[in-house]
Amino acid sequence: MKTKTEPAARPSSSPGESPSSGRSEVHICFRNVTVNYASVVALREINLEVYRREILGIIGPANSGKSTLLRCINRTLDFVPGAKVTGQLLIDGQDVLKVRNVYALRRRVGMVFPLPVGLPLSVYENVAYAPRRAGVRQRHELDAIVERCLRQAMLWDEVKDRLDILGTKLSGGQQQRLTLARALSLDPEILCLDEFSIAIDPVTTMRIEDILRELKQRMTIVLVTNLVQQARRLADRTAFFMAGRLIEVGDTENIFEHPQCELTRRYVEGDFG
Amino acid sequence: MAELRYCLAWKRPDGSFQPGETFASFAEAATALSAWQPQSHSGALSTQEPCCTDQVEIWCSCQDEPATVLSRPRYSFVVYGTVAGGGGDGSEAAPWWGLQEAITGLVELERSGQLALRHGQRLRLCHREVFATSAGQKRKARAENIAKTVFMAMALMLVAPVLAILVYLLVKGWPALSLSFFLENPRERMTAGGIWAPLVGTFFLVFISLLLAAPVGILAGVYLNEYARDNWLTRIINLAVVNLAGVPSIVHALFGVGVIMFFAELRRNYGIWVPFEDRCLLAASCTLAVMTLPVIITSTREALASVPMSFREACWNMGATRWQTIRTIVLPNSISGILTGVILQVSRAAGETAPILLTGAVFSVPVPDHGWRAFVPYGLHDRCMALSMHLYTISTQVVNVPEHVEYGTAVVLIGLVLAVNSASIALRVYLRSRKKW
Ligand SMILES: Nc1ncnc2c1ncn2[C@@H]1O[C@H](COP(=O)(O)OP(=O)(O)O)[C@@H](O)[C@H]1O
Ligand SMILES: [Mg+2]
Repeated sequence: MKTKTEPAARPSSSPGESPSSGRSEVHICFRNVTVNYASVVALREINLEVYRREILGIIGPANSGKSTLLRCINRTLDFVPGAKVTGQLLIDGQDVLKVRNVYALRRRVGMVFPLPVGLPLSVYENVAYAPRRAGVRQRHELDAIVERCLRQAMLWDEVKDRLDILGTKLSGGQQQRLTLARALSLDPEILCLDEFSIAIDPVTTMRIEDILRELKQRMTIVLVTNLVQQARRLADRTAFFMAGRLIEVGDTENIFEHPQCELTRRYVEGDFG
Repeated sequence: MAELRYCLAWKRPDGSFQPGETFASFAEAATALSAWQPQSHSGALSTQEPCCTDQVEIWCSCQDEPATVLSRPRYSFVVYGTVAGGGGDGSEAAPWWGLQEAITGLVELERSGQLALRHGQRLRLCHREVFATSAGQKRKARAENIAKTVFMAMALMLVAPVLAILVYLLVKGWPALSLSFFLENPRERMTAGGIWAPLVGTFFLVFISLLLAAPVGILAGVYLNEYARDNWLTRIINLAVVNLAGVPSIVHALFGVGVIMFFAELRRNYGIWVPFEDRCLLAASCTLAVMTLPVIITSTREALASVPMSFREACWNMGATRWQTIRTIVLPNSISGILTGVILQVSRAAGETAPILLTGAVFSVPVPDHGWRAFVPYGLHDRCMALSMHLYTISTQVVNVPEHVEYGTAVVLIGLVLAVNSASIALRVYLRSRKKW
C-alpha cells in the first residue's frame, strides 16, 4: 500500500526540505534505476522521489535521459527493442517494473510526448478513446469527459462546434492540446508532460500552465521541459539531469537561486558554451 | 600596331549590338558606363534604341578599324538591380549590386591585370533582375525538361504493348463476342458454343483460393507487422515469405501434385481423413492459394506499415492493448490497402495455368446446360475447367477451332483481369481521397 518513506539520501539535495510537509508523501520513487538502450546507457542509477500532488520539473540538455525517465514510469520502454531497465520504480510502493497489468498502469499515468499526435478519429472520439477502452459506455458520461478534458486542455472553445472533424486535420498546436486532452481523459493520478509546449503558442501555454497549477490539487505532475523558465514558474521542485545522471534535485527556488552544483548553476543561468 | 580603342555598345532589340562612343582607355569607357541605366526603359539613355539596355559590351578594337568580333564575349559580368553593398565579384554566382559598384569593380580588375581585353575581344555586362533566371538556371531547367520527357517516354512505352495487345485481340475476337458466347457451354469438340463451363470454373477456383488465402495471409501479415519482434523466428518467416513469392508457378503445381499423392497414400494406408486425394477443384484452389499467399502477406504488411507508428504509440500510452489499437486505429486505416492487395491476386490467380493444369483442371468436363447444376457445375472434389486452361486447349490441343473463338476467349480472360485490376485501382483512388491524415 502506501509507503511513507522519509526522503532518502538525495544526491546533492538542497539543505532545506520541501516547505509544506503535506506534500512530502512519496508517490513515485526511483531506486537505482538504470536504463540501457542496447549499448547506450540512457539513465544511470537514478534515485529520485516524486511527492504526491506536486509538480516536479525536470530540466537538462538534450539526450540527458529525461524522456527515458518518463517512458519508465508508464512502461512504454517495453516497446523499444533492446531497452533494459534495472532497479526499482515504486508507485505507491508497488514496483512498476514488475507490474503484470501494464494497461491498468498506463491508465493511471497520463503521458504527453513532444510531437502532437491527432488520432485519425473525430476530435470527440480522440478524447473518448481511452474511456471507451476502459469501459465507459454511457453517452452522457462520455460527453462530460470529453468536455472536461477539452476545457482543461484549452481546446474546447476552438472545437466545441466541430467535435466531429478529424483530429488529424487540426493544426499542430491544436493537435498537441488534443494530445493533452487525451492524456487527461482517464483522470490519471500521475501526469507526465514531455516538452508539451513546443508546438503551442505562448499565450495558450500560459493558460495551460494555469490549468496545470489547478490540476496539481488532484494529481502528481512530472514536467519535462526545455524551457528553464517554465520549470521555474511551475515546478515545486526541480531536478536537473545531465548525461543520464541526476545531478541535483531540490526546491525550485533553491535550484535556481542557490544551486549546490556548478553544472546546475551554469545550466539554469544559460551559461553552457 | 595601332593603339587600342575601347568602344561601348548597347544591345539592340534584335539582339545585335549597336556601337556607341569610343574611348582611349578602359577606365574611361568604364566610367562612361555610369550613363548606362540598366532599367532605363524610360529612354533616359541617349542611344537610338532606348528600349533594350539590359546588356552592354565593351569592345576592344584598333582605331577606326572595325574589329573582327568573336562570337562570345571574353568576359561576362552581372549586375543585379541597384541595391548597394551586396559585395560580389560580378560573376554569375556573386553579381555586383548596382552599377557604381560594377564600374569600380571593372576598373579595379583592369588595373590589377586580371582583365585584359585584346584586339577583337569583348566584355559583356548584363543587368538582371534579382529573380530573373540566369543562363545557368536556364540550362538546368532545360536538362530537367529533357529528363522529364525521357522518363515520360519510357513510361508511355509501357502503355503501348498493352494497347496493341488489347486492340489486336478485340479486332480478332470481335465476331465471337456475344451474350451467348458467355452463357453457352463449349460444343462440338470445342469448335462451337461458348465459354460458360470454363468461366464458372475459373470463378470457382479464384473464389475458393482467395477464401483460403486471404484470411491466412491477412492474419499472418498482421502478426508479422504488429506483433512479431525482430528475432530469428520472424526472420525465418520473412525469408519463407520472400522465397515463396519467388517460386515459379509450375513448381507450385508439382508441389500440389506431391501433396495430392501424399494425401492419397495417407488415406489408402492409414484411413486418415484428408481434404482431397485426387486432382480436383479443391486441390487446384489450394495450390493457387499457396501461390498467392506470400503476396497477400506482403501487401498486407505494407498497408499496415503505412499507418504511422505514432498513432500506435499514442494508443498504447493511453493503456490500449495491442489488439485494441489494431482494431480501432490500424485496421480501419489500412483496410483499403489490404483489400487492394487481395483483389490484385484475383487477377493473378485467374490468369495462371500451370498450377491448376496438374492439380485439378482438365480439358473438358460435361456441364449441364440447364437447371441449377449449370450454375454449380463442379463440386469440391470434381475436376473442373478453367478459362486459362481452356484457352490453352483450344489454341494448341484441338484442331479446327475457329480463330475468333480463340481470340474471343482471350479477350474475356484479359478483360476479366483488366476489370479486376481497374476495380482495385478505383477502390484505392476512392479510399485515398478519404485519407485521414
Ligand atoms: N529508442 C532508442 N533507441 C536507442 N537509444 C535511444 C532511444 N531513445 C533514446 N535513446 C538514447 O538515450 C539517451 C537519452 O535519450 P532521451 O531520454 O530521449 O533524452 P532527452 O529526452 O533528455 O533528450 C540518448 O543518448 C538517446 O540517444
Ligand atoms: Mg526528450
